[in-house]
Amino acid sequence: MASTYNDILERLRFHLRQFTGPDVEITAQTDLINELAIDSVKLLNLIMEIEDEFDISVPINALADVQTVHELVNLIQRIKVARQ
Amino acid sequence: MATIPTPTSNTQSQRLADFETLTGALEYAAAGNAGYNFYDAKGNLRSVLPYQTLRRNACASAQKLAGLGLTYGERVAIIADTTPEFIELFFACRYAGLVPFAMPVPVNLGSHAIYVQQLRGMLESGQASAALANIDYINFLQEAAEGSRRLRWVGTPDQLGKLPVSDLELKPNHPDEIAYLQFTSGSTRGPRGVIITERSLMSNLRGIVRNGLEIRPGDRCASWLPFYHDMGLVGMVMAPMVAQVSVDYLATRDFAIRPLQWLRLISRNRATVAFSQPFGLKLCTLRVRDSDLEDLDLSSWRAAGVGAEMIRPDTLRNFAEKFAPAGFDARAFLPCYGLAESTLAVTFSQIGQGFQSLCVDAGTLVDKKIAVRLQAEGRKFSEFVNCGRPLPEHTVKVVGDTGESLPDLRVGSVLVQGSSIMTGYFNNPEDTSKTLRPGNWLDTGDLGFLFEGDLYVTGRRTDVIIVNGRNIRAQDIEELAEQQPEVRTREASAFGITDANDVTTIVLVIECRLTSITDRQSLTTRLQRLVYMAFGVNCLVELVPPHTLPRTSSGKLSRFAARQGFLQRTQLTDQLSAAESRDK
Repeated sequence: MASTYNDILERLRFHLRQFTGPDVEITAQTDLINELAIDSVKLLNLIMEIEDEFDISVPINALADVQTVHELVNLIQRIKVARQ
Repeated sequence: MATIPTPTSNTQSQRLADFETLTGALEYAAAGNAGYNFYDAKGNLRSVLPYQTLRRNACASAQKLAGLGLTYGERVAIIADTTPEFIELFFACRYAGLVPFAMPVPVNLGSHAIYVQQLRGMLESGQASAALANIDYINFLQEAAEGSRRLRWVGTPDQLGKLPVSDLELKPNHPDEIAYLQFTSGSTRGPRGVIITERSLMSNLRGIVRNGLEIRPGDRCASWLPFYHDMGLVGMVMAPMVAQVSVDYLATRDFAIRPLQWLRLISRNRATVAFSQPFGLKLCTLRVRDSDLEDLDLSSWRAAGVGAEMIRPDTLRNFAEKFAPAGFDARAFLPCYGLAESTLAVTFSQIGQGFQSLCVDAGTLVDKKIAVRLQAEGRKFSEFVNCGRPLPEHTVKVVGDTGESLPDLRVGSVLVQGSSIMTGYFNNPEDTSKTLRPGNWLDTGDLGFLFEGDLYVTGRRTDVIIVNGRNIRAQDIEELAEQQPEVRTREASAFGITDANDVTTIVLVIECRLTSITDRQSLTTRLQRLVYMAFGVNCLVELVPPHTLPRTSSGKLSRFAARQGFLQRTQLTDQLSAAESRDK
């Protein structure tokens, strides 16, 4: 079952909530570094949650090309597709 | 999928690092049945590399490397993921008389461009003739290698395996030749490769396994430390091998995400020796749930080495308290001190004694640089962990500003002399002469004091900031800033501030002529972003008018004074508030 982009985005947004105040809207364009200030320790937590949520293993080399929520959703989608 | 790890009890009699060279040690270990084991994120055994197989594969790869036409002593760069292939290539280089150096894997979000720049810096500084990376990282490596005139071959271990075998005879290594380079900084400009000879390496390894750890039959190691760090490479790859001890590995990434896997590995395979930075212990304490403790039995763990950064007593106490129900014995704590410039280890505390500490009066320490042992209750105090005594063939002294030796309990620069000191930084006489003082005393850059023969480290001099266990050179952050068109050279100053909870925040103060709010905001955001991508940490940027930053008589910026100024401007009596407001 391939997860759709919007489905992944929605589930990811839930996990990204912990990095923002309740009044901040997280969109596909949100910048993970500048807007959500995800440092290396927060990132590890987030990856763990993503791996559990989507039942995938996120290769560390792929994160070097991820800066926005959109890019992270694409990465998750790519990993899920590759597994099928 | 491998099913059985290499055993703890070996078939051969144990020899404790009494070898002249690394390959000499492997020749002996290959006759036994110990080796390296690699576990995946779920704790499954993924691959096994007995020392016997390592020797065979390394010799085969050495013939391939020799076929590349490299001459004796040329450098080979290898991106060091936690894999059997990395170790095979490392030893292949030694068999072929080549000098390997390990390069890091990328760890930060959006770090692609800066990571490639870091690799390029190391390839150039180490003057590599060949470079290898596995399939996950080869694209980064190829990008970094573009335009290099020195690199003659870049590829994956698979591609190396497909090359024709040369019939070159492999010669034994000599104790005086360079064994490897160890890079010490994630710098984008001017990374430095520490030169370690076979003789220094073997001397340090002897000290570690005999005096530091008192390795004996029945020992087994478990490690998550990256292979590109000295503690991971020397401490947890080479040291076990030269004592024919088996090791269980967890990739650093897998540990960082699920730190308890490391403890489960110790528990399941009855490991006796496992090292960590204090930060790793903190992660374990932070992430463990009470239900996890029921399945853990850490009673076999007799040497819980702690090093590589300042050790806070509370980090150890919290860990011990948390894991006591799982059988962790606090007497296993083994604080030690060392640095890549001294191969790895300099001092070890007494094994089996747990950690000792000294409480000293905080005021006297800052004002007079004297550690006065706390007499009365209620005074503000600082507590320092005893890092123990120097290994045999090593001497530690503490000196003052003019180089004079200081007596016990006086705080100064920590200097080390001995048989495992580097011969210098590769192709960098300037930094070498700054670090190796007359008489071959290595200036460690750390501050501390001696007491009854034991070393207590009190901090770094201001040129290195330690955040989440990683050493970040202040100069590297300033250089990133100075690469921006709005920032002139010598108008950026970086330093760390540490709050009461031991959380360190990087502060970057910039002298700035911009007046428009938009321009200023754009610079601030860009700098935060660059620092993040290069080092994976958030930083606080302060823009100040020109001529605000204090300079020394020679016109150099004083980071110490810049830090004092910042604390005054922001009136940080409680530094925590600054750390918390950084993202707002």
